[in-house]
Parts: sequence; C-alpha cells; structure tokens
Amino acid sequence: MQLDAKIPGGPLAQKWDRHRFELKLVNPANKRKFEIIVVGTGLAGGSASASLAELGYNVKTFCIQDSPRRAHSIAAQGGINAAKNYTNEGDSIWRLFYDTVKGGDFRSREANVYRLAQVSNNIIDQCVAQGVPFARDYGGLLANRSFGGSQVQRTFYARGQTGQQLLLGAYSALMRQVGTGKVKMFPRREMLDVVAINGKARGIVARNLITGEIETHTGDAVVLCTGGYGNVYFLSTNAMASNVTAAFRAYKKGAYFANPCFTQIHPTCIPVHGDYQSKLTLMSESLRNDGRVWVPKNTGDKRRPQRIPEPERDYYLENKYPSFGNLVPRDVASRNAKEQCDMDKGVGETGLAVYLDFEDAIKRDGKEVIEKKYGNLFQMYEKITAENPYETPMMIYPAIHYTMGGLWVDYNLMSTIDGLFVLGEANFSDHGANRLGASALMQGLADGYFVLPYTIGGYLAGTPLEEITTGHSAFKESVTSVNDSVEKLLSINGKRTVDDFHKQLGHIMWDYCGMARNDEGLKKAKGMIQQLRAEFQENVLVPGSKKDFNQSLERAGRVADFLEFGELMIIDALSRQESCGGHFNEAYQTAENEALRDDENFCHVSAWEFTGKDKEPVLNKEELKFDNVELTQRSYK
Amino acid sequence: MNWLVNTLGSSIGKKLLMAITGLGFCSFLAGHLAGNLTIYWGKDAFNSYAAHLHSLGPIITMAELGLLFFALVHILTGTTLFYQNFKARPVRYSMNKSAGGRTIGSRTMPYTGFFLLIFIVFHLINFHFIDKTGTTIYQIVHSAFENIGYVVIYVIAMIIAAIHVSHGLWSAFQTIGANHVKYMPFIKVVSYVFSLIIVIGFGFLPVYLGYIA
Amino acid sequence: MTKTINLTLKVWRQKGQKKKGRLETYKAVDISTDMSFLEMIDVINEQLTLEGKEPIAFDHDCREGICGMCGAVVNGRPHGPEKGTTLCQLHMRHFSNNDTIVIEPWRSRAFPVIKDLAVERSALDRMIQAGGFISVNTGGAQDANAIPVSQEAAELAMDAAACIGCGACVAACPNASAMLFLSAKVSQLALFPQGKPEAAKRAISMVREMDMLGFGNCTNETECEAECPKEISITNIARLNREFYKAGFFSAEK
Ligand SMILES: Cc1cc2nc3c(=O)[nH]c(=O)nc-3n(C[C@H](O)[C@H](O)[C@H](O)COP(=O)(O)OP(=O)(O)OC[C@H]3O[C@@H](n4cnc5c(N)ncnc54)[C@H](O)[C@@H]3O)c2cc1C
Ligand code: FES
Repeated sequence: MQLDAKIPGGPLAQKWDRHRFELKLVNPANKRKFEIIVVGTGLAGGSASASLAELGYNVKTFCIQDSPRRAHSIAAQGGINAAKNYTNEGDSIWRLFYDTVKGGDFRSREANVYRLAQVSNNIIDQCVAQGVPFARDYGGLLANRSFGGSQVQRTFYARGQTGQQLLLGAYSALMRQVGTGKVKMFPRREMLDVVAINGKARGIVARNLITGEIETHTGDAVVLCTGGYGNVYFLSTNAMASNVTAAFRAYKKGAYFANPCFTQIHPTCIPVHGDYQSKLTLMSESLRNDGRVWVPKNTGDKRRPQRIPEPERDYYLENKYPSFGNLVPRDVASRNAKEQCDMDKGVGETGLAVYLDFEDAIKRDGKEVIEKKYGNLFQMYEKITAENPYETPMMIYPAIHYTMGGLWVDYNLMSTIDGLFVLGEANFSDHGANRLGASALMQGLADGYFVLPYTIGGYLAGTPLEEITTGHSAFKESVTSVNDSVEKLLSINGKRTVDDFHKQLGHIMWDYCGMARNDEGLKKAKGMIQQLRAEFQENVLVPGSKKDFNQSLERAGRVADFLEFGELMIIDALSRQESCGGHFNEAYQTAENEALRDDENFCHVSAWEFTGKDKEPVLNKEELKFDNVELTQRSYK
Repeated sequence: MNWLVNTLGSSIGKKLLMAITGLGFCSFLAGHLAGNLTIYWGKDAFNSYAAHLHSLGPIITMAELGLLFFALVHILTGTTLFYQNFKARPVRYSMNKSAGGRTIGSRTMPYTGFFLLIFIVFHLINFHFIDKTGTTIYQIVHSAFENIGYVVIYVIAMIIAAIHVSHGLWSAFQTIGANHVKYMPFIKVVSYVFSLIIVIGFGFLPVYLGYIA
Repeated sequence: MTKTINLTLKVWRQKGQKKKGRLETYKAVDISTDMSFLEMIDVINEQLTLEGKEPIAFDHDCREGICGMCGAVVNGRPHGPEKGTTLCQLHMRHFSNNDTIVIEPWRSRAFPVIKDLAVERSALDRMIQAGGFISVNTGGAQDANAIPVSQEAAELAMDAAACIGCGACVAACPNASAMLFLSAKVSQLALFPQGKPEAAKRAISMVREMDMLGFGNCTNETECEAECPKEISITNIARLNREFYKAGFFSAEK
C-alpha cells in the first residue's frame, strides 16, 4: 500500500493553519451524536478525552489502572519543553522544531514536528490555567531550566514531578467531564482488540479486569493512547503495566507498525541488583555534569572502589572522547558502559554497572555545593541502594526508557485503519530515531489537547458511518478470538511462570536488540524468540480462572504479545541497514563510534504490515523529505 | 435555613460544632477555676464569691442554659461522630500501630468525654442541685472532701479532663482553620499548659480542702 | 554485600469482595535485603504459582513511589514502617531475620476489598469529579505568564499537589477519614488565583461528596500526616476548613 501522510501543502509554518481551515467541521449540535472511544489515560489519552468531551462528543475512556490518574505518564520527572522564549535567549518555534528534528537524527516528519513546536506554547498556557503548579521565579512568573539537546532554557517543570503534575491537570479536566456525564470512565479494563467494520474502526473488545468479563463497546472512532512498549525488555524504567498489547492487536487488525526498533536507552539508571528485580529507576542525567565515569582497568577486579588506586582506574569516557568527556550524548554513554561490562570490567555484584564518582567534584567544590545540586538524587539513590554516594561512588547502568517506534499515523494522527487514531508514545510520529528530553510530555499533550480534537472532526464530518451495534458479526468474531486466547493461556498449565518467560525474552532483547546491534546477533535472537514463543505456547503456567481478578492472566496476555512483537522489532532492526539515533548497528559507525546514517537508502519510515500469524510482515516505506533543514552528521567533537 | 443544616451537618460542620462548644467549655473551665481559687483566701472569700454569682440572677440562669445547650450539642455531635467513625471501618486491622500522630488525648476522646459526662452529673448533684438551706457552699464542699473517696474521684476526673482538653484545645484551633506554621507550635504548648493548669488548679483543691485547710 | 533473611508472612487472603477473608501464613526464605517489599511479594507469588496455588493479588504499577497504586498495611502501618516511603520503595533491609510481618489491605468502608490486598478506591476519583478541577476548556487559556503567582503560593500548592492519591491517609486514620486527600486538592486549587472563581462551589460539593461516600469524620488524630508517603501536612486540612466555612457561611453557594 502506498502510504499517504496527508501532509498539507504550503510553507512549513503555515501548514497547520491551512490544514485546520481545510478540515471539515462537525457542527456543535451534531457532535453529541458521535461516540468516541479513547483507550489510555496518560497525558495523551487524558487530554484527548477531556478535550473531546468539552467539544460535545460523547466519550468512553478506558484504562488498566484503578484510576486514570495512575497512567505511566505520572512518573516523568524532568520537564516539558515549549518555545515560549520567556528567558529571552532567542528561542523560537523554529529552533524547537530544528532541535527536535536534529535530535531525532532526521528520521521524523518535518511537518509534524513543526506543528508540535507550534502548539507547545498553548500547552503551557492550558496547564497553568488548570492549576498545574509549575516552578516560579520570585516575581511570580514561570521558571525554566535547561535540558539535553538544546542550548536554550525552555523546559518548564514542577520539582522532579512534572509528569505527575501535568497528568493530574489532564486528569482533573477528565474528571470534570466524567462529572458532567460527557465521559464514561472504564477503569480496570484492558483493551484486547480493535473491531473494524467495513475497513473502519468501530469499537473495541476489552476485559474487565475485576470480573473477567469480556466487554464490547461501539464507537464512531477509536483513539489509542496506550503508551510505549519498553517493557518488551522486561526491565525498564516503564511502569509495570506498560505494554504493547493494544497497539499490537491493532497492528494485527491492519494498522501498520512503524520503526519498532527505535528504542531509547537512558545511561544513568540504578543498576540491576538481582534477578528478582522488577523494575529500573532513572537517575537524572544531569549527574554527569560533575560525576566521573570509570571502571577498573583490570578485568574482574572485585575490590571496593576506594581500594582501587588511581592508576588502576579507567576513565574510559574521558579517555575516548577528550572534548566531551563524561558529557557525551545518551546513546554514546550507554553504549560505552555496555562495552566495558562486556569486557568483564563492570563493577558491583552483577558486574553490570560502572562507577559515577563524585570524589573529585566534592574535593573541588565542597560537599555543600554538590549537595545543593544533587541532594535529592543522592538521597533517592541511598534509599534504594543503601550506599552513601558522598563516600562511595554511585553505580549506574543504562536502561530502556522510551520507545520512539509505534503505530504509523498520518498528519491527522490516523493509522492505516480508518477511524483508528493513535496518540502519545503509542504512535511513531515526532521523535524520529531518538527523543530529546522533555519532549514526550509535550507531544502527548499536543496530540491530545490541540491536534486530535480538530483532525477527528475532519474525519467524522467527512466519513459516512452506518449504525452498528455490538451484535454485529465483527464484534462476535472478535469476542470469540479474545476468549479463545484467554482460555488457551489458562489451559496450557505448564511448568514455567509468565515472569520467567518475560525475563528470558527481556534478556534476549537486551543482549541482541539493545544498545548496540549487529546482524548476526539479531538473526540469532530471532531464532531464540521463535523458540521461546513456541515453548511459551506449551509450557506456560497461568494460575487462577478467567472470571476473576487474575493478575497472572493479565501479564500472560501481555507477554504473549511481547513474544510476537519482539520478533517484529528484530525484523525491523535487521532491515534498517544503517545506524541512526537509538538504533545502532555496529557495522555502521563513524571513526568516532557515532551512528552513521545512510540517508540515501534509509531516509524513510519503516511501516510494517501484518500478513498473518507466523508469516513475515511486509515493509511499507514512507519516504521522508527534508525541505527545511539540512541533513547533517551528529558530532560531539 | 437548609444551607445552615447542610453546612453544620457536614463532617466539617460537625467538627466545627465540637470545636466551638469545646472552646466554650474551656473558657468556662478557666472562669470556674478562677472563681474556685477564692477558696485559698478562706471560706468567706469563697462564700461571697458564690453569693456574688447568685446575685447575678437571670444572667447566671442564661449562662447555665447556655452551658446546657453547649453540652447537648457537644454530646450529641460527639456521639454521632463516634458512631459514624466506628462504622467507617467495618473490618478492623488485626494489627494496629501508630505512626506517632495520635496522642493519649486524641486516642481516648470519646471515652474521656463519656467519663466526664458522668462526672459532671455527679458533680452537679453534689454541689449544685443540693439543698443549700442552713449551710454555706464552703461547708458543703469542705465536708464532701473530708471523704477520701471524693478526693480520689475528683483528682482522677481532673486528670481525665486534662487529657481530654490536651487534644481538644489545639484540635479546636485546627478545626476552625487556625493552623499556621508560625503559631501552631505555640497553640500546642498552650493546650498542654492549659491541661496542666486544670489538673493542678482543680485537682489540688480537694486535697487542700480535705487535708490542709 | 547482599544479605538474605528469612521471614514469616501473615497475609490477608480474600477471594472477592463478598467473600470472607483471613490471614494465611507463608514462609519467605532467602529474601535479599536489597529487594523492595513488592519484589519480595513477587518472589512469594512465583513460589505459590509453581506450587499450583493462587498468587497474592496486590496493586502496583510505577514501583517508584509516584503512581499511588501500591499500598498495604504492614505490621499495622500503611506502606510499612519507613517515613515518607511508599510500599514499592520500602526495602527489605528494614526488616530483620525471622521477623513476622502481618500484611493487610487498606481497611475502610469506602474502599471495599477486591481481592487479597487490592482494594477499590474509586471513591477518591468521585471526590475529584465533584469539583477537584478548574473549569477551563482547552484552548481558552491566556498566556501562562499573564497570571503571576507568588513563589510562596506556588510552593505551598506544589506541596499539596504532591499527593499521589494512594489512600494511605484513609487507611491510617483511626476514623477512616479522607480529609487529608480532599484537603490537598482543595488547597492546591485555593492557593492559585485561577482556582478562586470556583472556590466556594468546590469546597462545598467536594465535602458533600466525601460525606456521602462512607468515609469517617476527621477528628485531628494526625495519623494521616504521619503516614503520608508524600508527607502532606494537615495545615491543608485547616485550609480546607477555612475554605469550607467561607463557602458555607459567607458565599451564596448552597
Ligand atoms: C522514568 C521516566 C521519566 C520520564 N521523564 C520524562 C520527562 O522528564 N519529560 C518527558 O517529556 N518525557 C519523559 N518520559 C517519557 C514520558 O513520560 C512518556 O513518554 C509519556 O508519559 C507517555 O504518555 P502516553 O500518554 O503516551 O502514555 P502512558 O502515560 O504510558 O499511558 C498509557 C495509558 O494507556 C493505558 N493502556 C495501555 N494499554 C492498555 C490496554 N491494552 N487497554 C486499556 N488501557 C491501556 C494505560 O492504562 C495508561 O492509562 C519519562 C519516562 C519515564 C519512564
Ligand atoms: S507502585 Fe506506584 S507508588 Fe508504589
């Protein structure tokens, strides 16, 4: 199929205005005749549900957690970008646009990113009006801080809890609409299928996680805001319930999956400390401003760090990148840590960690200065590890943190299934091969508050939609297949637990499709995943019943999808014979170990089409055109 | 007037009723104590204080009715709160531990309150609704406290009253919304000092009358 | 170095809302002191699963103390013995070898048990629906810097807004009252100029909703403040009281 991104014509800066003018409108009185299903209540889903209801649409909103306020977005710490230029440093929509495109290693769509930068300012206005307690200066105006990948301070923040506060803002708007009856809220539901009738998304099938009942819901359009799939690696900084299920089942129904191999790894996380570990915790990367990264020079050196004398320490980042030193970008820092550990120089009990040492900084600036800058981070570190980072070097290791890939959407955020819209981290749109800090929150809210409310109107106004009920055969078929897969999981009654499989999958993905990839490893991993999937089908043990609150069953369904999806990631990684952003194929690097793009052959979005169970998916390409920025090689010299 | 019922009938409204009536009792206690202190000036001082009070006539009756009304509100609201709060947790914890928020005072409010109610009835029967013809209030009080049992009951009651007030007083300020980072620590200290004054001020009287005077 | 400990767990098991529950005893052997409390339960659950038994149901999601999904009463203390810490952030190094740990769900009439340690907390959402918002439609906002807010007010509002809605305040309150939760939201919005126009309506309807949901009444026991994993202060409750009196006695709201 020829992918049409429906990018409006005209100069970049006027595309969105022009498009809004050209979009058909639904008359206010008619909006109440439409019913829209929104799956997910993170920044994207929460803001979309509230805004659609405000416009007059009837909305049904679903989420897995017991309350919409608990979506994974709540965990974001750092901040949200906007091109307000309140700091008078020369920021502009254009600069935010440019930084984001470049940060994404030129694998995103210009028009989308420009629109994102345009609406970024409205987001801040909206959030302040809602009562989001952003940090402020003494004069009472909003404060900004700087973040990676930009030279201006454009990040708005609420202490270390920006995601929480933004989500609570969207949640309060959503709750207001629930109160007015415009939104019907369905918490503790897991969407297990999209129902398409005559090629258009017309409803979903969801499992009530308390009663186990399989429910059907009709709608005139379906909006997926179901977040990222980082948990395919088992250990990640994502919340435990983050999954690919909703997106993957939509993929199986005909939505293309774009760039699944684009994943982001964050270099400064608290390392894994045992195989019982369930989750990784992020430490702000600002720590690398003062900390020095090192490992012992000799392999297998198990002495306490203080016992290792200076000449026996390898400050590998400083040695390898004399100009940037410890401040190389996220992906470079991450890959180097892995390399050291692969050489058996890793520290800590598992050997999967490197030191981040503040000794010199404390000597230079004094403990007080360091405490003032990083006190709360040091405290959090101590809470988790019981080590005092003022005395013993911190141990850090990279962890999966964000997924740039997602369901393919056009400029209207509509997938390849008509009427199925995808917002937030679940879509692939704005971050290319690498996301800059503080941009995911911006994108989720841009999609939900300021893009979808217009574009969905254009779809609804311009599309004839027949009356349907849940009695339609498509719903029945979908329910049957969902039921079958639930029953299948419970009936296998094997010998290994769901988590056991998930951990093994995570290891495969991390080892072969993680920070650095090569064709040989990827091919091997593909076989391993197929094998693991086959074993899962025969040997997984899911206790309990389907008519119950059964958390093992929930996880089993998600892991089953990860087992299929992991292979898709590998297929995508194998097909992209270049390095870019988060996708680093060892065969393609510059002399300085930087990702080496191949703009001639791979300046496209890879959108994968499902062709059947156990069949190879088909690759569809959306060529990326850069009319406004020049493609350059990232360099950190 | 629906709005008034709604406001006062809400959980915060009920608390407000408890706080205002409670503060009323605290000021009554302060006045009562001040009057009682005349005992230390001897029986004439005390008797004339009593006579002076009685000479106020309708004012004192009004005050008594006011106190009675406060008591009714305090008791009824308190009982409602106790009942509702009991019902709010139908299944109890099998293990309960405080994080340090509760005090003896707060923990025992309903029970100390109930005890005080009984005590007040007892107290009124002894000294208020008693036939005072041919005797003086000083004599009544003095002869009552020659009985060691009375002394013990009164001292215990005052300790309990102090426990009740130790939570009640600062809590009333919190309830009326007067919790400020700068003043709350001071209010808490005042609550404890006031409770101590009650124990010592009222509690020492029976001992003084029974054994020293 | 990793230390391991052995524990006896007494865990509340209850098959469903209408079913009777009871404490069951489990042995937790070789528990690494680096584990979080929830990881310890994960380990027990893996064992139970392999033994053909049903694992313990418990809510959790972010596991970094921000989503408010986790929570259980551990030895009589919501979220366990550490101050300012959610259950997911509580580490096993705070327990000793051979300890007995009693684990119960939040208990309140407003939070019925769904299964084992998982409870139904939609009552918290209901209170927010009643007025925990500023009525501003998307698109209508003025420039963010058009409304200056003093740093003090912004900080106080942020202190209140840090609430994660876990319900520990209700679980800790001897009266199962939700005042700390409610007051945190009312305070946050009352401290902002943007929140003022609806302040009276908000205070009245949120308190009324709370009263209908079956929570107990606040009697200033202050256990909520002592147990709150985000250390939210009861000065917020005093502020809520003031807002409520203002609304009840001096505004036209009914
Ligand atoms: C530790 C951490 C820190 C971060 N810090 C920042 C930062 O500082 N700045 C920044 O910009 N970004 C940050 N990010 C990234 C950002 O938080 C996320 O990308 C963003 O919040 C995703 O929002 P979302 O609305 O797309 O999805 P989510 O918030 O993940 O929400 C997904 C929703 O979908 C629901 N759902 C999922 N599957 C189903 C299903 N099958 N059925 C029903 N419902 C379903 C869930 O219940 C949930 O409500 C951070 C991420 C992490 C992990
Ligand atoms: S799991 Fe999110 S707060 Fe504990």
